[in-house]
Amino acid sequence: MTHDLEHKFVNQLEANQNIVHKICKIYTDCPDAHKDLFQEITIQLWKAYPKFRGDAKFSTWMYRIALNTAITLYRKSKRRLPTDNIDPVLYRVKAIDYDDTEEQQLSLMYDAIKQLNDIEKALVFLYLEDKNYYEISETMGITEINARVKMNRIKKKLRNILNP
Amino acid sequence: MEELDLLKKDWQKREKNLPKLSYEDIYKMMLRKSSSSVRWIFYISILELGLGILIILFYHPNVGKQLQLPNFINYFSYISIPVLLYFAYRFFQNYRNISTTASVKGLLESIMNARRTVRLYIILNLVLGGLASIFTFIYVYINQQGGWDIFVHEAQIKDYLIIFVVAVIATLIVLFVLLGIYLLLYGFLMRRLRHNYKELKKMEV
Repeated sequence: MTHDLEHKFVNQLEANQNIVHKICKIYTDCPDAHKDLFQEITIQLWKAYPKFRGDAKFSTWMYRIALNTAITLYRKSKRRLPTDNIDPVLYRVKAIDYDDTEEQQLSLMYDAIKQLNDIEKALVFLYLEDKNYYEISETMGITEINARVKMNRIKKKLRNILNP
Repeated sequence: MEELDLLKKDWQKREKNLPKLSYEDIYKMMLRKSSSSVRWIFYISILELGLGILIILFYHPNVGKQLQLPNFINYFSYISIPVLLYFAYRFFQNYRNISTTASVKGLLESIMNARRTVRLYIILNLVLGGLASIFTFIYVYINQQGGWDIFVHEAQIKDYLIIFVVAVIATLIVLFVLLGIYLLLYGFLMRRLRHNYKELKKMEV
């Protein structure tokens, strides 16, 4: 019986592992930390799995637990490898010249998101995942209006990081 | 924001580049032990409960006889036992309430609640321990001087002052050591949780 449950869980997680990988990508900056967080999320998902009744979609349920783990349960290791930031000045000059490729702009955006705090990262993540404000508010435990307001503030903040 | 929508498209395109774990990889991960901060907070609070029990044992009547401790110390242990049982129950309840299925805010709230219980418990322990320590010190000292009657007869204001000051200082040292350990253990684990909780609170304003 337990074995059946294990089998079912691993299969479902394997099929939906992208969600967890994406969260790891936003919250960590090196492969080791990525793997660590993935593991912690897997453990938390498994612990919560008996309570998963299937009345929600497995993936929806996963978003919640995985984000909870990233924000509240995961112990970030203190030693963090310095991310090799490309000189932002260089990029700004290029931005003025309107010479930048889409690729560069995107990588700047990813860097900017890394500078947000845990809660803001969660909102951006759900936004990027194309979740509507109702779903965002449900996952975060805030009202829909607050989710909207916060998202607007984050956009403003990102703009400030990109064009200081 | 134009850029963020651009990113949204890219984000969905990038799914192909994500790492892919096999069934075996995930199965192995699932069986590992969690190392989350909440788990550690729970372990430490259990440890503290143990500390509370040690304090009671320390003031146990048998030990009291050897040290010639006064009767009122017994009352301290009598008070402590129901208090301890109550907190043991609360700790367990709090830990059970911390479930990842809640929303982020709900989860953080239950963690903060659990923390509040531990803090209350620590403060209570420190107050009880501090009071017991002051009274015991004064009592033992006076007894060594030949008992209350002789002491009152011979003592001058200076003696009273010395007893009082030394008792207070000794107690303060004990309390500071305990408080230091406490801050060291929890301060480290709680910093990020508190920060995130504040961020969520800010959102509600």
